[in-house]
Amino acid sequence: MTVFLQATVEGLSLAAIYSLVAIGFVLIYKSMDVLSFAQPALAVVGAGLISSLAVDRGVPFWIALFIGISLTGVLGLIVERTFLRPMVGEPVFSVAILTIGIDILLRTTLDNWIGLNPRYMGDPFPSFGNFGSAQIAGVTIKYLEIAALATAIFIIIALNIFFRKSKYGVAMRATSFDQEAALAQGINVGRIFGLVWFIAGILAAFAGFFITGGFNTLSQTSFVVALRALPAVVIGGLDSIPGAVVGSIIIGLTQGYVAYYQYDFEILTGLTLGNGFSLLAPYLIMFVILILKPDGLFGTKEVERV
Amino acid sequence: MKSRPNLYTNYDKESAIFSNNTQKFWFAVLFVLSVSLCFVATDYWILLISRSLTFSIGAWGINIVSGLAGQITLAHGSFIGIGVYTAAVLGGVASNSVWGYELDMLIWLPAAGIVAALFSLILAPLAVRLKGLNLALVTLAFLFICSHIFSNFISVTGGAGIGRKVAKLVLFGINLEEGLAFGNFLLEKNQIQYLFCLFLCMIMGFGFKNIVRSRAGRAYAGIRDGDIAAEALGVNLFRYKASAFALASFYAGVGGAMASTISGGVEPGLFNLLFSILAVAIIVIGGAGTVLGPLFGAFFYIMAPGFIQYILKITHLTESALPLNLGQIEAILFGLCIILFLIFEPRGLWGIWFRLRNYFKAWPFSY
Repeated sequence: MTVFLQATVEGLSLAAIYSLVAIGFVLIYKSMDVLSFAQPALAVVGAGLISSLAVDRGVPFWIALFIGISLTGVLGLIVERTFLRPMVGEPVFSVAILTIGIDILLRTTLDNWIGLNPRYMGDPFPSFGNFGSAQIAGVTIKYLEIAALATAIFIIIALNIFFRKSKYGVAMRATSFDQEAALAQGINVGRIFGLVWFIAGILAAFAGFFITGGFNTLSQTSFVVALRALPAVVIGGLDSIPGAVVGSIIIGLTQGYVAYYQYDFEILTGLTLGNGFSLLAPYLIMFVILILKPDGLFGTKEVERV
Repeated sequence: MKSRPNLYTNYDKESAIFSNNTQKFWFAVLFVLSVSLCFVATDYWILLISRSLTFSIGAWGINIVSGLAGQITLAHGSFIGIGVYTAAVLGGVASNSVWGYELDMLIWLPAAGIVAALFSLILAPLAVRLKGLNLALVTLAFLFICSHIFSNFISVTGGAGIGRKVAKLVLFGINLEEGLAFGNFLLEKNQIQYLFCLFLCMIMGFGFKNIVRSRAGRAYAGIRDGDIAAEALGVNLFRYKASAFALASFYAGVGGAMASTISGGVEPGLFNLLFSILAVAIIVIGGAGTVLGPLFGAFFYIMAPGFIQYILKITHLTESALPLNLGQIEAILFGLCIILFLIFEPRGLWGIWFRLRNYFKAWPFSY
């Protein structure tokens, strides 16, 4: 039972991280019909910015966190303005490849800065010792995991309010519903695209911080964690924010349970699944769900005309 | 008609491999030049060109499925991997940990392609149900599954971080690893390899051109331009999507197997996401859907770093004097190329070549 709870807690905190990246994916896809492969790169760049400010420059942690996350949002905005704006109306295929190009650029620059030694994120509460952890009923809960969960829930609620109440939120919903109709109603669609990338960048930076915070550290392979939000988005349906959250929970929990129960399973069945199977499980689920439901669990079915 | 080479009186003539004498002439010149190159150039350049030739075979493969049939795939690297390991098991040397049967090249080279093609049929039913981004994501899942298997199937791949030796060059029972002596003249291994890559690349290139101008090629173009419309016109979607994936993987397997003999050893970590992205990027840079595009793209990808290294060598600059190391310079250059080509020249290097050619065709009366 303790093992089960432990796996659940870790799975949920992963789900929180995935959902942050996944919502960014969905926002961009809904508004621009672009699947941005640059999202994982934005996440690790955000982490890199926070680390360079907090550890190398000695900026107080909270200010570094704030500046790093805002800068990543601005970076998203710049990427949209410089690289994606000229591609409006181009085939989906080309734009997806273009975002891969952006991903290569950002990550190479970051890898050069990271070097061989992993980077630390800094610590707001040195007395806890690397973000610390608590024992509740035999389950180890890291404070960072709680923070990730709380942040994700807070951001999801805030975004929900933003989309329903604020002027720009409503404009974003209108744009994703029908770009031309939105233009005709006087909505500045270009500005909306920029805003979408800004928000996606901020979400990615939060995710990046929680991926690399504490003992996890930022290394050249950290982006793989953020990339695993992709199966989450696909499971939920590329154009559904609730879907992204549900998908993230499915993926996070699967990963958690597989990590803890793989060994028992192997002994029970005599099969060997190999090292790091828990990292593969999300993609297997994505594989199966795409076969059964090509539009994901919550996605809208695409109607096509010849 | 002899005096008017650009006048086509029937379809066969226009779709011929070389539609006019100019093309025949330049192909002959290029052929003679590239054969004689192996006796003139240094080993450094011979190896680079051999690698480019094998990479362009793989790039033709992804050009069938992405360029012609319009299905985005991110699993091409996995099929290359399957080809490499098939060849390595059949043609490689066994050791304590890995299998190897030391068979002839006549067996392992086609087998590499065929096994990769058979594996690609796993994707076929999915490719029919899905399209566009969803298909790309399924192939992405396939890629991660493959790379997991690669790093855990130790008796075939040698395991993650360790790798294994690849297939040996043994043709008709003659071991070509030590070179081939004709009287006093010794043809070295690199030269043999280069000539072999050249012929293979030519065969595969003509094969690609033939696919383009055949019934299958027209069906692929139909699927790319509108699969529902193509289906309504009687194109069997299942057959042609499956055959596009199978052909692409055949090319991938053969190209990969040949490329692996140049590097000598492979580590399963090579066949990661970046490797598959590389395949896509090569045809984007070269020009998707064109015959010459993949060749241009592959040469660009392999030769550009070669030139950078060469420039560093002749200017006596060391790597430490630069802000980035060589791999990073290559990666940044590569990422920039993808972005700039997509924005400014979506037809890739082939598009540039096409415009240059047309400019000089009418020179000096260009308009």
